[in-house]
Amino acid sequence: MKLTLHNISKSFDSLEVLCNYSLSLESGHIYCLMGPSGCGKTTLLRILMGLEQADHGSVEGLEQARVSAVFQEDRLCEAFTPVENVMMVTGKSLTEAQVRAELCRLLPKESLKRPVSTLSGGMKRRVAICRALLAPFDLLLMDEPFTGLDEDTRQNVILYIREKCDGKLVFLTTHQEPDVEALGGRLLWILPNPAHTKN
Amino acid sequence: MKKLLKTIHHKPWQRILIALFWLSLWQAAAQLIHNPIILVGPIETLLSLERMILSGDFWLSIAHSFGKISAGFLAAFFIGILLGSCAYRFPLLQEFLEPVMTLMKSVPVASFVILALIWIGAQYLAVFIAFFVVLPMIYVNTLAGLQSTDKKLLEMAMVFHITLGKKIRFLYFPAALPYLISGCRIALGMSWKSGVAAEVIGLPSNSIGERLYMSKIYLETSDLFAWTFTIIAVSALFERLFLRLLSRMERKGEPIHETDPS
Repeated sequence: MKLTLHNISKSFDSLEVLCNYSLSLESGHIYCLMGPSGCGKTTLLRILMGLEQADHGSVEGLEQARVSAVFQEDRLCEAFTPVENVMMVTGKSLTEAQVRAELCRLLPKESLKRPVSTLSGGMKRRVAICRALLAPFDLLLMDEPFTGLDEDTRQNVILYIREKCDGKLVFLTTHQEPDVEALGGRLLWILPNPAHTKN
Repeated sequence: MKKLLKTIHHKPWQRILIALFWLSLWQAAAQLIHNPIILVGPIETLLSLERMILSGDFWLSIAHSFGKISAGFLAAFFIGILLGSCAYRFPLLQEFLEPVMTLMKSVPVASFVILALIWIGAQYLAVFIAFFVVLPMIYVNTLAGLQSTDKKLLEMAMVFHITLGKKIRFLYFPAALPYLISGCRIALGMSWKSGVAAEVIGLPSNSIGERLYMSKIYLETSDLFAWTFTIIAVSALFERLFLRLLSRMERKGEPIHETDPS
């Protein structure tokens, strides 16, 4: 799939967050968007998720795409187990045993039976990532997905993402440049000025 | 002495001692007044209760009033949830229902009782009154509970195209249930108080309200006290059973049971 953003602009009250932002993305790549806090990374992702309307500009290629996401917050159903949280989005595409096996790759087995509310911040983050990767998708959007993960877990999660996103279109935001390399991703910068590709 | 004080501070002992203190005070007041029409003590009340329990009419009256009041409560519970959910989904309906619910909450129960007597007669009066007292409480709590659903989770559900059934199970139900439980806690007590009050005015045959009225007519204060005690006990039992049932629906995180074809 190919996703093209044409001159996207977005303001909140009188504050202009995005100004004529254009971008072209293709399946088979992981695009990592970097930029200072408040420069519109999350707003851009929210526009692609369909949660915000751009004031100006258009997005092409999103119409038929199945979108999956890791939000800035975990956004999990706290009273339910990790397995239930994942099965909520996978539907019948995966069995409970398959979901359990996938979750075991990122989380300790004992944590799968507990309500999410009893898990640590890092564990919740991994459940949110797993949920996004196991939902059927063409476009995966992730907003600072590695927040709260220690170095070893981060590497493990990155390997898992690379495996699950092979051939798909991934667009994520991060503050850590080494993550881009580990993901084998393409780095994009977004600045208060129109963004430009670094490599 | 220190040991004795420590034992008294232990919670169950403390409660028993406090209850005994008030019961003795009540008994002492009854003996001091020495007029069974004005005040009877706990012993006379218990004797009266024993006499009533041994008669068949006692259980018939309880069954009659319990059936009618709980029917009114349950109908209001389900219709309140349905209306609250529809009002959440369609804000116009919420606006439309607002004056009706405000009216139902502010009209005195006594006025409702007289109106209901004219409309439907005495036989189903308690059903009607319990229904009208409980409905706005359940409606308001359902609506407030649904409105408290985490907006961020609703956004998540939108992005993942989660079905309505799953949204109800995973998002709306856990958000609305605590509100519903707290609403029911008040509504259950209110349904009994207003239901019995309605029976005292309407006097349907074989009801607790009718028995209370008869106690007043024959100046049987001990019967009045015994019936009051019975109403409190039955209402507390119903409240406890119903709330336990609702609380059991609150998620504790047990896993989904789905068959694995592999």
